[in-house]
Amino acid sequence: MSEVRVTAAPEGRPLAVLLPFVPPAPSRWRWPRLRFVHLVGLVGLSLVVGGGAFAQAGSARLSALEVIWKWSPLLLSGFGFNILMSVLAMALGTAAGLVLGLLQIGENRALRTFAWSATQFFRNAPWLVLLFFAMFMIPFQFRVFGYTVPFPDWVKAVIGFSLPVMANMSEIVRGAVASLPSGQWEAAESLAFSRRQTLWMIILPQCVKRMLPPWMNLYSLITMATVQASIVGVTEMLTLTAQVHAAEGGRPDLLAPLYGFAMLCFFVYCYPIERFTLYLERRFQLNQ
Amino acid sequence: MKKLLIAASLAVMAAALPAKADVLENVKKKGVLVVGVKADYKPFGFRDPSGAIVGIEPDLAADVAKRLGVKLELVPVVSSNRIEFLQQGKIDLMIATMSDKPERRKVTLAIDPQYYSDSVNILLSKKAKVGSWEDLKGKVLCGTSGAWYNKEVSAKYGAEVKAFDGSEKPLFALKGGECIGYLYDQTFIQGKLLDSEWTADYAMPLPGVMEAPWILAVAPGEEAFAKFMTDTTIDWMKTGFIVQEEKKWGIEPTDYSKRMHEKYKGS
Repeated sequence: MSEVRVTAAPEGRPLAVLLPFVPPAPSRWRWPRLRFVHLVGLVGLSLVVGGGAFAQAGSARLSALEVIWKWSPLLLSGFGFNILMSVLAMALGTAAGLVLGLLQIGENRALRTFAWSATQFFRNAPWLVLLFFAMFMIPFQFRVFGYTVPFPDWVKAVIGFSLPVMANMSEIVRGAVASLPSGQWEAAESLAFSRRQTLWMIILPQCVKRMLPPWMNLYSLITMATVQASIVGVTEMLTLTAQVHAAEGGRPDLLAPLYGFAMLCFFVYCYPIERFTLYLERRFQLNQ
Repeated sequence: MKKLLIAASLAVMAAALPAKADVLENVKKKGVLVVGVKADYKPFGFRDPSGAIVGIEPDLAADVAKRLGVKLELVPVVSSNRIEFLQQGKIDLMIATMSDKPERRKVTLAIDPQYYSDSVNILLSKKAKVGSWEDLKGKVLCGTSGAWYNKEVSAKYGAEVKAFDGSEKPLFALKGGECIGYLYDQTFIQGKLLDSEWTADYAMPLPGVMEAPWILAVAPGEEAFAKFMTDTTIDWMKTGFIVQEEKKWGIEPTDYSKRMHEKYKGS
């Protein structure tokens, strides 16, 4: 009975063997396919935006769409301002957060404790509270060598938003470094790399791709949080939306379309970022 | 980082606080007058589609800048930050629909005479036959709950006031015929009457009652600037500038501005 007889093998196919596992190639980045859910969302939004047009047809009043069209240059400039604030806050917060994160995993005990407590403090404080803190602690101008340097509200808001970004970034760095297998450290040590060399040449380069998805997620969140600046009087999109509503006589039927338009702008901007983050996450997971 | 920030902000604050000279001198030296105005209060201060702030108060501000021979910069303010902006020196002058209240006079330097006055009025249906406040006896009015004058109006004129939250619900009730008029701030009613939705069937035929004057304000201690603003305000009243502005922006001149115009006209 030494012969193996294959009785049920289909014609022309080799015997079943275990092939080496090849992970499926990550799909290339492409625009997300519109699915039914998106269709529902978009139709819903356009109904909200356009609804006023049907509800109030007649007399000399502008329909909601006409109102939005008339004010869109102003509203969109406000939105551009939100984007600017988010980008600057992200840049500032990322730079500070990298430093803080590296201190958190550093060897100096005092610095480590300081970095840890600063991270925890700013990570667990409500963003709006940090924003108020920045708005009221920082003066609107200060004098450097006899020159008056103005410090407008929106710059203060950028600083306010960069604080939570900093703390979250610090945790992202710490988490990414901690998530690498300890073998990386040991191997580097056995090859006579110094601690600094190991960190900069071996550990951190591997961390970058782990940090990218949560970092982009954070960006998305901070972009949407910039509307909070309207509470402290920065003239950004939400402030302008309220003012436009007042300029149009405060008609209640315009409320939903105007705020719906603001929502749509943020959605159109943040949704692709979110999709791209998901794509990166999937891709990096497979190649780990 | 945190400590650094706090230290930096403290150092910066310390550096920013002293440098307080006479505002009037500073404005002339800089060549710019910074005025805080409302941007969400039609027609006193609101945005036009280009983003510029226009209205009665921006016009008043422009007049002040013209008198000083400087350029004008408008800063949009809201009720919660206007006094603070003034104290910080971020704005030189506040023309922002601020009612005259004793606690506000403590923290700012209010300009007398008061430049404008709001009062209480009724947005009345044109069908209602009401020629004076006394005709309101036994009639039903809509109101906003929490407004201090609801009780007073019903006690004094014998009208029944049905109170609703906010300002949209009572307006809706008025349209639905639940009452003959909406009892509210006159400036708000004037703003509504700029909209064709209301002018067709509603009007504000009665004179305002229970005046609540508005004040201009400068930072505390700026006596010279306050003196200049007092003179300017009196001149506005003398020339009828405020009445003209009300007409220009399509609202009915208030009793207060007409009275002040009469009072100072001859002086």
